[in-house]
Amino acid sequence: MRRFGFRLEPRSDLPKWLPWAVPVGSFFAALLVGAIVLGVTGQNPLSVYARIVDRAFISEGAFSGTLVSATPLLFTGLCAAVAFRIGFFNIGGEGQFVMGAIFGSGIALKLGADAPGVLSVAAMIVFGAIGGGLWALIPGILKARFRTNEIITSLMLNYVAAVIATYLIFDSNSFWRELSGSGAVFPKGKVLPTVAWWPKLDFGSIIVPFGFLLGMVIAGWLYALQRKTRFGFEMRVVGGAPTTARYAGMKPTRVVVAVAALSGALAGIGGATDVGNFRHILDPKGLQQSGFGYAGIVVAALARLNPVAVVFVAILLGGITNAGYALRGPDFPAGLVGVLQGLILFCTLGGEVLARYRITRSARPSGVETTLEPA
Amino acid sequence: MSINDNIFVVIMASAIFYGTPLVFASLGEVLAERSGVLNLGVEGMMLLGAVAAAWVSTNVGGPAFVVLPLAILAAMVAAALGAAIHAFLTITLRVNQIISGLALTIFAGAAGLSSYLAGIWHLGQSPVAHQFLRLDVFGLADAPVVGPILFHQTLLTYISWIFVLGASFYLFKTRMGLHLRAVGESPQTADSVGIPVVRYRYAHVIIGGSFAGIAGACFSLMIVPTWVDGMTAGQGWIALALVIFGFWRPDLMLVGAYLFGALSSLSLTLQARGFHISTAFLAALPYVMTIVVLVIASNASSRRQLGAPAALGKPYEREER
Amino acid sequence: MEAATAPAVAAFHVTKKFPGVIANEDVTFDVRVGEVHALLGENGAGKTTLSNILTGLYRPDSGWIEVLGQKAEFHSPRDAIAAGIGMVHQHFRLIPTFSVAENIALGSAHNPVAGRFDMSAIEERIVALSESFDLPVDPRAKIWQLSVGEQQRVEIIKVLYRDARVLIMDEPTAVLTPVESEVLATTLQSMARNGRSVVFISHKLGEVASIADRVTVLRHGRSIETVTENDVTALASLMVGRDVESVKRSTESTTQSLAASTPVVLEIDDLRAVGDRGLTALDGVSLNVRAGEIVGVAGVAGNGQRELVEILAGLRRSVSGSIRVDGESLENGSTRHPIRLGVSYVPQDRMGTGLAPDLTIAENMALKKYRRPPVARPPFIRQSVIDAEARELMERFDVRAPSETTPTRRLSGGNVQKVLLAREMSGDPKVLVIASPTQGLDVGAVATVHQLLLDAAESGVGILLVSEDLDEVLALSHRIAVMYEGRVLDVVERSDADVQRIGLLMGGEMEESA
Repeated sequence: MRRFGFRLEPRSDLPKWLPWAVPVGSFFAALLVGAIVLGVTGQNPLSVYARIVDRAFISEGAFSGTLVSATPLLFTGLCAAVAFRIGFFNIGGEGQFVMGAIFGSGIALKLGADAPGVLSVAAMIVFGAIGGGLWALIPGILKARFRTNEIITSLMLNYVAAVIATYLIFDSNSFWRELSGSGAVFPKGKVLPTVAWWPKLDFGSIIVPFGFLLGMVIAGWLYALQRKTRFGFEMRVVGGAPTTARYAGMKPTRVVVAVAALSGALAGIGGATDVGNFRHILDPKGLQQSGFGYAGIVVAALARLNPVAVVFVAILLGGITNAGYALRGPDFPAGLVGVLQGLILFCTLGGEVLARYRITRSARPSGVETTLEPA
Repeated sequence: MSINDNIFVVIMASAIFYGTPLVFASLGEVLAERSGVLNLGVEGMMLLGAVAAAWVSTNVGGPAFVVLPLAILAAMVAAALGAAIHAFLTITLRVNQIISGLALTIFAGAAGLSSYLAGIWHLGQSPVAHQFLRLDVFGLADAPVVGPILFHQTLLTYISWIFVLGASFYLFKTRMGLHLRAVGESPQTADSVGIPVVRYRYAHVIIGGSFAGIAGACFSLMIVPTWVDGMTAGQGWIALALVIFGFWRPDLMLVGAYLFGALSSLSLTLQARGFHISTAFLAALPYVMTIVVLVIASNASSRRQLGAPAALGKPYEREER
Repeated sequence: MEAATAPAVAAFHVTKKFPGVIANEDVTFDVRVGEVHALLGENGAGKTTLSNILTGLYRPDSGWIEVLGQKAEFHSPRDAIAAGIGMVHQHFRLIPTFSVAENIALGSAHNPVAGRFDMSAIEERIVALSESFDLPVDPRAKIWQLSVGEQQRVEIIKVLYRDARVLIMDEPTAVLTPVESEVLATTLQSMARNGRSVVFISHKLGEVASIADRVTVLRHGRSIETVTENDVTALASLMVGRDVESVKRSTESTTQSLAASTPVVLEIDDLRAVGDRGLTALDGVSLNVRAGEIVGVAGVAGNGQRELVEILAGLRRSVSGSIRVDGESLENGSTRHPIRLGVSYVPQDRMGTGLAPDLTIAENMALKKYRRPPVARPPFIRQSVIDAEARELMERFDVRAPSETTPTRRLSGGNVQKVLLAREMSGDPKVLVIASPTQGLDVGAVATVHQLLLDAAESGVGILLVSEDLDEVLALSHRIAVMYEGRVLDVVERSDADVQRIGLLMGGEMEESA
């Protein structure tokens, strides 16, 4: 019986350059495949790519726009990276982001126009984290307590969060909804008082949203948490070997629940950033269309779950998204952003295999041989 | 007021109508999962199927009885191609099945390839040229109670029933079904008795994908029936939950699909009849229900092993000791 | 014996290399029609690799296989089955949720109809086979309902169902009680009389000598000699290639019992527990270990040993009974408390339970002390301390690895066990609980591990040694406790241990009959 003409052998030595070369190589491979898709469907790949690069990074104000698009991806990317690392597949970043936006905007509205700006912004961060964290605790506790699959539960909660946001603005006379003026006719959220608008820092030609800086600081903090603390040590053990963790006196379920909450809190801060720094309003439709939560998984995977790398990947994918918005129109194909994101992810996943295994041609009967030592 | 306007009859009839894509999608997923491969790309594959079916129905000339089967076939092929990517990544390259499935949904999904293709094909500006209409089977469509529920559905619904029977028979009464379940339970054992594990997994992931394509076609040819970006609206994820809900058994999954179909139609029906009930509550109900069922099922399954394939989610490497 | 006809199966000059290891080198042997042929060798001698080549799982790098005088090339297990060669693996390849008949029919060409299968026809055939070979089994029972011995019968019928003329059995008695082993021996011999050939893989001299017609000895991957020998001592020296007595020397230090005044460090009293299936696993176990004493727990796997050690480590809760460590009562179901009280635990499943395979040697060595200074400086951990301590332990316990940052999954079995022992011994434990310490290790590593255990006892650690390897228990223990069906049937001093009697106790005296 014929099987595949090649097999995978684990590499015994990992060259130092490989961890870097793989994502970079995968990225270009994805561009190549994307170019084929574009070419086959009658587009000129070079011109499409040139326009994307131009509108993402080069033209006037492009990079500032890219940072705006990168900010939510940074938070949802960190959310996925932290959770996936311990094997908690939280794909509820979307819903946790929305809950963060609801909680964050709620506290800003409650504090009102007279509160000091610093207080408003700080309270939004805290409440955003609480909102997202609580939302992620649901799948976390269900997994810890009942071993319920967190993938489906966290995903279902995305829809529930969207329904809640819609309810607050379109389906009730809630505290979040603007009931006077045009809001009486067309349902929309209350605009946050300007004291609660997060600052944007002007570095000459580039404007950096405060939320992005916050995300960078948090990314650094997460890196230190994972590498330098006892809790980070427990996370590493629980992620790689839960039985061993229990044996070593750790409490894997507690670690899972704590990381679930942390992960949700990160997405929640992202939601607070979204209202505080950009929209200044709770906008259920806009949140639903953006798909930040899912894109965050792409970011995390491409960053190989490293929080610091998430920052750079967020900028890269934020650039593509930003260019996608800017170029949207009859001569720029819709859906291209998702296609490119998906391709990048596919290629990275495939590339990871190349990094871990050596592919050799073989006429062997078996598909794969991995164990080095015979018994 | 006729008995057929009774709210239960209306809801049952629409439950079956809206549950039909869920039946196809969850059947496809159960084939993949029984082989040990989790495919979270259902949503993406459904959208690929939907867009392919919409294109054929809009652009291929001919009578409906020619165009519609072609549209279904196109949907199956498109979704199967998506599934093939997942199969290659997870089976051959042994990539994490969860991430690969998500990648497929992002790649093909609402803001991805399906939307891209719909854009360049200019779909969605008008209803599709041919759609699956409700039939009057044996002239019984107006029969009391059973008429609207059982005899006034579209052809796709009746096909889905045949698929459920076929899948049940295949899984539990045929040699290939036995082999498939063995591959999902213990690929090592299957391999040791000469069952080609890799081939079984590829075949069932890809065929399962083609079922998701039919599910997508249900939306663009029957429920909506035109193209809208992201028109499956998360039903692919519900299908994943249904597989667990139905303990990996096609017959129970059918029941689950109609239960969810009923919940989706409940809010519309109740509102139309002037009940004062929050639509938000009803809209959230299917999702909350799914979570509740999952909690119950996962707790019970950990105790009694209700049918989850033991090797689900685990890549198979030949253990060479 | 029909020596005139071509051998049922034969290997010629078979060589199989793995990266860095030569598993088989120039192996030549043949199995006659109607004989029981033993492949004898120590762990790592290449027996399993050879059987995997014979059953089509591997292809040899050089050399060839002949079946009934015809050169045969196996591309997959399926080809080997078609050629009439079937394997009964040591770890059964059965699906617990399937019935006996389903497991047997799986993948077989003997399904009357290709599409729909006819269960009653399959069941009939199974009953016929089980009657003619005297292998009683209920085709409708689910595998998980069967005892280990019954499961092995299913495996044998599975091979016979495929018309195998050659049965390869990998360590078939490892999981059986002595009584079950005797029944198996009779079955194998009756199969040989019926014209089948049996390849019997083992490292147990006694059973090889009594069951096999001929014995091929493997050593370091080479076929040393094929003999008709049934003298145990002669076979032993062929197998190890050196003086057998050296193995027994280590026992001298433990043959003298400890003074009665030596304090008891581990006191297990009337311990009861249920197993994973909710059945009674421990039925009132009482056992003491004194400082500096090695107490061996002998018994066939599945008689409560796993549950006992898991309770001691806090990985499982007991139903009733008490455990005291140096006088202090152990919290039920806490994994931290035993660590605090000085109970070290080296599990049987080293990679799955003892270590985190993807983490480095240093991190694994810090697993039980990361919580306290000097490794921890809350809330931080000090990587430099972890690394320095790991380097020192690697030196002391002779762990061979490129550096302390090597992931443990890259280590050989012996080095894995040394990493575990290094960690567990480094915290000055009072009690060491160790399960199957040398399973799967090569000879050199076995000697090292045994020496480490003797040294630990010497330094005053009380050791509870659980092992299925009776020779090991006899070689190391001061006292030997025999477990059977959740109870300690007897505890005997090493000095008056009677192997015959311990063997009988392991089988629940003589009550059990298969």
